[in-house]
Amino acid sequence: MISLCLCDSVVNIMKIKIKCFSQVKYALGENEIKLDLENGSTTYDLEKLIREKANGQLDDVSLRVAVNQQYVKDESELKDGDEVAFIPPVQGG
Amino acid sequence: MIITPKELTDRIDEFAVIDVRPDEQRNEFPLAGLKSVVSENGVLPKVDGQKVLVCQFGIVTEGMIIENELDDTFSLLGGAQAWDEFIQEKKDFSRWSRQTVLPEIGIEGQKKLLNSNVAIVGMGGLGCPAAQSLLTAGIGQIHLIDGDTVSLSNLHRQPLYNPNDVDQKKVDVAKERLTVLNPETEIQKIDTFLDETNCESILVGTDVVIDATDNIKTRQLIDKYSKQLNIPMVYGGLFRFEGQVSILNVNGSPGYAELFPDPLSGGDTCEDAGVLGMLPGIIGNIQALEAVKLIVGIEPNLIGKLLIYDGKSHSTELIKIG
Repeated sequence: MISLCLCDSVVNIMKIKIKCFSQVKYALGENEIKLDLENGSTTYDLEKLIREKANGQLDDVSLRVAVNQQYVKDESELKDGDEVAFIPPVQGG
Repeated sequence: MIITPKELTDRIDEFAVIDVRPDEQRNEFPLAGLKSVVSENGVLPKVDGQKVLVCQFGIVTEGMIIENELDDTFSLLGGAQAWDEFIQEKKDFSRWSRQTVLPEIGIEGQKKLLNSNVAIVGMGGLGCPAAQSLLTAGIGQIHLIDGDTVSLSNLHRQPLYNPNDVDQKKVDVAKERLTVLNPETEIQKIDTFLDETNCESILVGTDVVIDATDNIKTRQLIDKYSKQLNIPMVYGGLFRFEGQVSILNVNGSPGYAELFPDPLSGGDTCEDAGVLGMLPGIIGNIQALEAVKLIVGIEPNLIGKLLIYDGKSHSTELIKIG
């Protein structure tokens, strides 16, 4: 697990745990990532960040997002302590 | 040693039957048409010749025979439960005694399995173990759907096939091997790949469809007709050490389109990305387990949930998709 801080200030931050699955896990090289995010950040902000960190490896991968083990369809504001999972479709069988 | 209800009926004159059950169980479930003596307080009566011991499910008596090293003594497989069903229905359920003993299955659940009809789309890494487990569980009718042939690189994860089968049609070989496992299951082989022209006619009439394919297009096709025909779809997918399982399209529950709307890519297939053979074995068996639970009506299950299994850490994640 790695920890990152993406905030300039330590005042308005929240701690988020990211769980990575299949291609995301391989693209980022981690099962789990701990992040400090600015308050008010959303699932879209986090997905953008994940895609940037993957250096193009997830460009053709669609991701489903779950917050605290529940799928979220639309942009959703995150709160301190949330666990966010990024789940790509897999096709092997 | 064990004896089935049918064998006991055929050889009834050779044995003395001893009912080892407590009074209340004997009174509630009498051994119809079977003369027996009763063991008092767990002490077996002295009887000459060969004996058959009967308990409720055939498990206690197997233990008694081993523990006491009893000679010339058989345990009735499936016990009084299987005997009763054999007398009433002329059907020997004793081979499933270790699952009918489960209160969640019982004889009624086994009858549901025997009367069910399951389609397996794809006889590869997921389809092989799913088919084996469904067949041995007693599914009455199975449709094997695959237009592919066996190749050497399939063998490490598709245990129905061996090196002599290379270039043979998968459905031909699979039917031959599976028939040996349970000759009573009716196996239909469908030597084709699913497409828009044949999907509906192939799936119609089945109770559950196992999605054991290796590409997203076919998953979407199964999803479409599973939804239209109201046939539950048990989805399974793999990526390297990871597997996913979900039950989709049960009376309006989320389908594959809700699980992964507009997927751009599903990552590489097992042929391209690689996989250890055990992973499809695990995931295919979870699909079979969910299909059996669905048919029998056992809850909780994976309707509206996505199970993700990690073969490295053995961790699981259960995501609500509904």
